[in-house]
Amino acid sequence: MNASKATLTACVAALALLAGCHEPVSVTVYEAGEYKGESDPLLKAHAKSESKEALQKRFSMGQSDR
Amino acid sequence: MARMKFLCDSERCIECNGCVTACKNEHEVPWGVNRRRVVTLDDGVPGERSISVACMHCTDAPCAAVCPVDCFYTTDDGIVLHDKDLCIGCGYCFYACPFGAPQYPQKEAFGVRGKMDKCTFCAGGPQGKDNSEEERKKYGRNRIAEGKLPLCAEMCSTKALLAGDGDMVADIYRERVLKRSGRPQTWGWETAYQEDV
Amino acid sequence: MKLVKKTGSGSAATQPSSGFLGRSIDRRAFLKRTGLAAGGAAVAIGLPAKMMRRADAADAAAADGDTVIKKSVCTHCSVGCGVIAEVQNGVWTGQEPDFDSPFNLGAHCAKGASVREHGHGEKRVKYPMKKVGGKWERISWDQAINEIGDKALEIRERAGPDSVYWLGSAKFSNEQSYFYRKFAAMWGTNNVDHQARICHSTTVAGVANTWGYGAMTNSYNDMHLSKAMFFIGSNAAEAHPVAMQHVLRGKENGGKLIVCDPRFTRTAAHADQYIRLRPGTDVPLIWGILWHIFENNWQDDEFIRQRVFGMEDVRKEVANWTPEVVENVTGVPGDQVKQAAQTMVENKPGTLVWCMGGTQHHVGNNNTRAYCILQLALGNIGVAGGGANIFRGHDNVQGATDFGVLSDSLPGYYGLAEGSWKHWCRVWDVDFEWVKSRFDQGAYEGKDAPIPVMNTNGITVSRWIDGVLEAKENIAQKDTIKAMFMWGHAPNSQTRGPEMKKAMETLELLVIVDPYPTHSAVLPDRDDGIYLLPAATQYETCGSVTASNRSLQWREKIIEPLFESLPDHTIMYKFAKKFGFAEQFTKHIQVNGEEPLVEDILREINRGMWTIGYTGQSPERLKLHLENKHTFNTTTLKAEGGPCDGDYYGLPWPCWGTPEMKHPGSPNLYDQSKTVAEGGLPFRANFGVEYKGQSLLSDGSYSKGSEIQDGYPEFTADLVKQLGWWNDLTEDEKKAAEGKNWKTDLSGGIQRVVIKHGCAPFGNGKARCVVWNFPDPVPIHREPLYTPRRDLVEKYATYEDRKTFWRLPTRYKSIQEQDFSGDYPLIHTSGRLVEYEGGGEETRSNPWLAELQQHMFAEINPKNANDLGIKDGQDVWLEGPEGGKIKVKAMVTRRVAPGVVFTPYHFGGWFQGQDLPDKYPEGTAPYVRGDAANTAFTYGYDSVTMMQETKVSLCKITAA
Repeated sequence: MNASKATLTACVAALALLAGCHEPVSVTVYEAGEYKGESDPLLKAHAKSESKEALQKRFSMGQSDR
Repeated sequence: MARMKFLCDSERCIECNGCVTACKNEHEVPWGVNRRRVVTLDDGVPGERSISVACMHCTDAPCAAVCPVDCFYTTDDGIVLHDKDLCIGCGYCFYACPFGAPQYPQKEAFGVRGKMDKCTFCAGGPQGKDNSEEERKKYGRNRIAEGKLPLCAEMCSTKALLAGDGDMVADIYRERVLKRSGRPQTWGWETAYQEDV
Repeated sequence: MKLVKKTGSGSAATQPSSGFLGRSIDRRAFLKRTGLAAGGAAVAIGLPAKMMRRADAADAAAADGDTVIKKSVCTHCSVGCGVIAEVQNGVWTGQEPDFDSPFNLGAHCAKGASVREHGHGEKRVKYPMKKVGGKWERISWDQAINEIGDKALEIRERAGPDSVYWLGSAKFSNEQSYFYRKFAAMWGTNNVDHQARICHSTTVAGVANTWGYGAMTNSYNDMHLSKAMFFIGSNAAEAHPVAMQHVLRGKENGGKLIVCDPRFTRTAAHADQYIRLRPGTDVPLIWGILWHIFENNWQDDEFIRQRVFGMEDVRKEVANWTPEVVENVTGVPGDQVKQAAQTMVENKPGTLVWCMGGTQHHVGNNNTRAYCILQLALGNIGVAGGGANIFRGHDNVQGATDFGVLSDSLPGYYGLAEGSWKHWCRVWDVDFEWVKSRFDQGAYEGKDAPIPVMNTNGITVSRWIDGVLEAKENIAQKDTIKAMFMWGHAPNSQTRGPEMKKAMETLELLVIVDPYPTHSAVLPDRDDGIYLLPAATQYETCGSVTASNRSLQWREKIIEPLFESLPDHTIMYKFAKKFGFAEQFTKHIQVNGEEPLVEDILREINRGMWTIGYTGQSPERLKLHLENKHTFNTTTLKAEGGPCDGDYYGLPWPCWGTPEMKHPGSPNLYDQSKTVAEGGLPFRANFGVEYKGQSLLSDGSYSKGSEIQDGYPEFTADLVKQLGWWNDLTEDEKKAAEGKNWKTDLSGGIQRVVIKHGCAPFGNGKARCVVWNFPDPVPIHREPLYTPRRDLVEKYATYEDRKTFWRLPTRYKSIQEQDFSGDYPLIHTSGRLVEYEGGGEETRSNPWLAELQQHMFAEINPKNANDLGIKDGQDVWLEGPEGGKIKVKAMVTRRVAPGVVFTPYHFGGWFQGQDLPDKYPEGTAPYVRGDAANTAFTYGYDSVTMMQETKVSLCKITAA
């Protein structure tokens, strides 16, 4: 009787422990040479010519020997 | 429409560390991690030269080439950025980089390094909206999204460090070289951009 | 993972970045410097966790606020770089480059780029504190003011007002500086001083006594036009980095850069010619250059004839300095000296720049005058691109000097004579007799005609410790100094550390008013009698600041004072109330709560500072400049169109007359190519009209548009009447100006009318090369007090000891005649680092800066290192001949010559090898601490100004 009680307690304990092992799973399937990270909103915003021109203006204002 | 480039004019660099501090200020980078450093050759003797070094945002970046999880991506004008969530801190990018740009914030047992951190050309990273709380915590400020250029170059004490449209950078530099009547010394451009001035 | 083989890239990847001399950068060395290999990364976990949290807290609060832009000026040096702050919800969240500012065009050095950290203020003194039973206790402001005030009043009653020393700051704004001097005057003492004493006091004395004003004659921007730039004792690349932007632009415009320095500094690395001289031999070098100029008749005879007095006496002295003698004394080979002379002669206009390397000697006033004389001989003064470009130190040391936070003057260099006191009493609208009664009524100087202590120079900051420790009978005041107010001034910038410790332990009361605890909080071993009062930084208040080129800039308040700190002027008002003179103190100044209105203080300044023309810079004009910085030309500093059209940026003084007169400011002093109304000037007729039968007025040389086409004395009401210009004054002006002169006429009428007729209010005189009231009328060479060249000591001996000089006995010969060179064979010199400023407490408490310089060190030449068995990075003891010793890391480098050792002076928080973090109040110990260089520096004081000799002493090095 004691042995089975011991095993029962051990099983319950083990289950309890395992319960804490659950992790939210997010797996990225890797493919060579491909970026799989989050998409950066900057890419789209920066591809516009207004963005480039603003930066060119900023450069002339700040980094030339005025 | 040219790509973004850094150029440090070593004729003007006085090793003031303004660029280093500006970067730390803007992005609250912790002690021990320096996205930008000033390197001095022949310290203390005639011929002493200083250069400010950070990520050069290379064409065909070696860091991106060796990354085992491909966490790097590039904007259309050459700014090399990466996703810290994907990064596994393996350190390969550091070995590949000819400029020593990737930095790691931790040095713990079993070679745990933490997420790689490097100069972002003040363009932040992928998480969240531009200049959101999330992006700022991970990568620092996103000045490009605000129409501003990297703060290190904007605050360089002698305008030695230039950052911006590569053609405009080259123009300024060429003008200076002509005034000085010396030969161009576009340090690092062959390695990073695989081209001359 | 992409692995693409690239042709040719293999070689590029394996060949380390070569280029200059084919030297490669060793990555290990690179790593070492990043601090990563040295375990710096480990610190990344430990240290900044708190910091990151603080930043998060700030961000969280700010994330949803509107961004307000505030404009200020960096507080770290006299270049005056514009700072743009982004503030959200009262939190300083961002810093942007100020591209519009003509001074820096957006640029910053490491310190300027880090100023946002002042808004974090991790290590600041947060509330008033008092040391009780050896521990720091927090107290309230009221308790602090009452206890300190009571003690000070008790000492005043018992020992006299001169027993309380009011040490002020070069980091005060203009208004605070002026206010502080007024405060000390109303307390009743001339024992008030600030950093200028130990920085450029010899400059001001030497230069003002040569041609009228002792300030930078041109500007940093003006150096774009210089064809030769001669730097002596100035390491601008580290001390004034953004000024190098202008210097290097000048170099790119074809200017030649000559750098003279015992060290091969970062500035020398950019020089066309570098001259290494022995510390303390400036005069021989300059006379050596002048020898070649006279020998070859290269001097500007016409300029000398018309505008210079006494050059013949200089020629006589210079004839002694032949190339062989110069080489023997300075160590500079003859051909180098000749080359320098030729460069200066062939490339005009040339400018001459100097800093501490020239000033901090016991013959500093000789050095500064020699530099001026060289420029006079070349005719380089009063021209754009030329001038004596004195790079001042702290951000407002120029302002603090101008406002007389000095023991020998009232604001505006009026001096301490009775007439000057009466002038200021009129401006303050207080009774002269009342102010007189505030002083000790005794007289301790002047054998035949005793001079009241109100009219004698007080004790200087460089000697305050002697004011405490010297026997009472030997001091020319009633009693020793018993209370010391270190207000915005660190102690580790003064020499003789062990004696300073003793003085601090002897004091009855030590009060530190500062945003940071400073080395003063930890140096003395005492259990009580020290108070810490948290002052706000200049970013937490508003006010004007004067850059080295005499331009004023207005600072906006960026954030409210952090924690319980208060602006300096509020603290002054609180003490004034406690001492019972608040009413007189703020008679015409509005007080809001307990904070005097800054703009009103500036208006009072405008009413009284006639001598140097701080009268035209009203708050309104300065704020207009602040709003329109982009309209100013970056070389000439003149506004081209816009609301400030015609003004020079910052209205550089002298800005004559009342603000209504709208004088544009004087960008380049003594420039006769412009009318006085447009900012031009002749030399000041400051020394009388004649000397020994020879005229001291200019000979046929005058400003453009001058109605008097010759020299003329300074203007009095009588002279104006004689010239028939009196009726040009208005009735009100006539009333005020009757019987007065250009300095004491409070209406400004004399100045206005004189300028209308094209003349300068201060006269048109000659610059003089012979200062007959100085110990050495013509500058000569005297060996430093501590020198290794015993063979030269007899020929170039120092002065005789003096019984009373600035109230104290002062030694010269009795020190020099002792030979220390056997035991202390190395020359010890000191200087600046770019990452730190001054005493260093503020900058070493900033993690972004502290990370860059983590250890106190001494530069030692490989030859000396090998002889002593010392390796790079090893701990060594550096000991001075007076017993002060410090423990530092050896940096073995060829930057210094064999026989010379260099230490940076910014470190503090250690004493003689002992780190003292526990003596700081909780949470205020700076990130980086080290032994103070000045602990090992020695006695030696300038023969005119009491400047300390910190550029040349002796030391010995032993392994630790």
